[in-house]
Amino acid sequence: MLLADFGTSYTKLFTMAEDTEPRIVPTRELDPTFMADLATGHNAKRRGRESVNELIALAKGGRRLIAEPDTVLLDCGSRDIKFIRYQGFEVADMGWNAECGASMGFTIELLESYYNVDYTTVAVPKTGFSVTCGVLGMSNIFDAVVTGSSETEAVAKFVRGIARNAFRFAGSPDKIYLSGGLCDNPLFVGCFPCEVIPLGRFVLLEGLKGHLRTKGLLLRPTP
Amino acid sequence: MKKIIGIVGIPPLEIIRQINEEQGRIVDLDEPQLPLPMNRETHLPQVYCAILRTVMLNAMNMHLDRVYIDVGPGKCDCALHVATVLQNFLTIPVITTRNRDSEGFGYPICRSNLPLLEKLQAVTKGVQSCEPSPAHPASIPTAGFWGVPPRDFSLLSLFPDSTHVYGWSRCMENKTPADIDLESYCNPAVPTVFFAQSFCAKTALAKHLAERHPKGLYVDCDVNAGSSVRAKIEAFLELSRDAATAAPAASTASIDNGSPGDDHAAG
Repeated sequence: MLLADFGTSYTKLFTMAEDTEPRIVPTRELDPTFMADLATGHNAKRRGRESVNELIALAKGGRRLIAEPDTVLLDCGSRDIKFIRYQGFEVADMGWNAECGASMGFTIELLESYYNVDYTTVAVPKTGFSVTCGVLGMSNIFDAVVTGSSETEAVAKFVRGIARNAFRFAGSPDKIYLSGGLCDNPLFVGCFPCEVIPLGRFVLLEGLKGHLRTKGLLLRPTP
Repeated sequence: MKKIIGIVGIPPLEIIRQINEEQGRIVDLDEPQLPLPMNRETHLPQVYCAILRTVMLNAMNMHLDRVYIDVGPGKCDCALHVATVLQNFLTIPVITTRNRDSEGFGYPICRSNLPLLEKLQAVTKGVQSCEPSPAHPASIPTAGFWGVPPRDFSLLSLFPDSTHVYGWSRCMENKTPADIDLESYCNPAVPTVFFAQSFCAKTALAKHLAERHPKGLYVDCDVNAGSSVRAKIEAFLELSRDAATAAPAASTASIDNGSPGDDHAAG
């Protein structure tokens, strides 16, 4: 059985029968006819024989990966951000911001290649831009560069602004479990004003496994 | 020939009775009545309550004989200003009312097992009558919808039939639109979506109640319910159902005492 998290930029795949690691494929490289047995994510309804709502997959994935009863899980994707707040292991609150968080992950990746920035070497800035969305925040970068900031410094301030937005969106908790591709961006992670525990890119795939388990279709326990 | 009377909000029963006596045809201007795109409405700011923009769109493009627009505590300040705009643009009488009716007619539809979309259709239709709603047996709620009838009724199809209706919609059926106590009531034992139209003053109450509710989700949307809003509601209802299934003993039953808090708890 093939599980898939069809993200806007990247698709995460996992084959149940094999003891392999999940794979990551750029979504634009997928064959138009490519289908998964169980899917979540932006293109799940079109590419999955069965689909699971992204927030549900996120909530279930977090439940399987986080041992704390009361905590917050934040998923930062290419085009949106979602959060789940657990209380007593149950979902107490949730949010999905597809408007003001639009294109944020995508924009951070775009800037990396456009300005040739290596996020692993950029220091966390002490101040940042007030960024409500990726597209509007871009003008801050251009303005800063025009007034003498280095491109790297301006991009870092932009990333900080995006991280602070996501933090406030999640309810400004003391600790956040982070999901999504931005877990691999040390600058982004370092810009949160709270403890951040990166869970990686496969939380939603974990949620799909949880979905199968709920339906009694998971034949062997997952690690 | 029947007069065509537009209403906005819930005019007092006395007005509805008069219209019924003269056998006028009531048109609810809060609801989409014409197959026109919203951008045809140009007299209000684009960032404004979608219900009131719909009112403007209807009123400016329909052949009406007069309009009653409620601007009292049972509606909103925005309606007061929209009334001014309508009075300036229309040549027919635009009559403002301040509904303070306080006699409760009950809200059996809100507590029934009808599909939620049918519930809200019946509640909004009921505004045109001076009679109480027909009797419906009360159901046991497994979900709650708090708020005004949405501009986009399609989002109501996401809810189970056992959804009870709270907030201003319940006040509508009770024919007491300014009853803030009834409007503020919700059942803490029932997972509830607190809905308000974007840019409506009721967003403050909806968000506040959702934050205080042990299982509440605040949702606002503008003209149409987008995929994000739908997914959020879908996820909330499904996860609430899962939680109730996993821990049925955790649910607390409320007592049917006939007060606004008369809903049985979710299982």
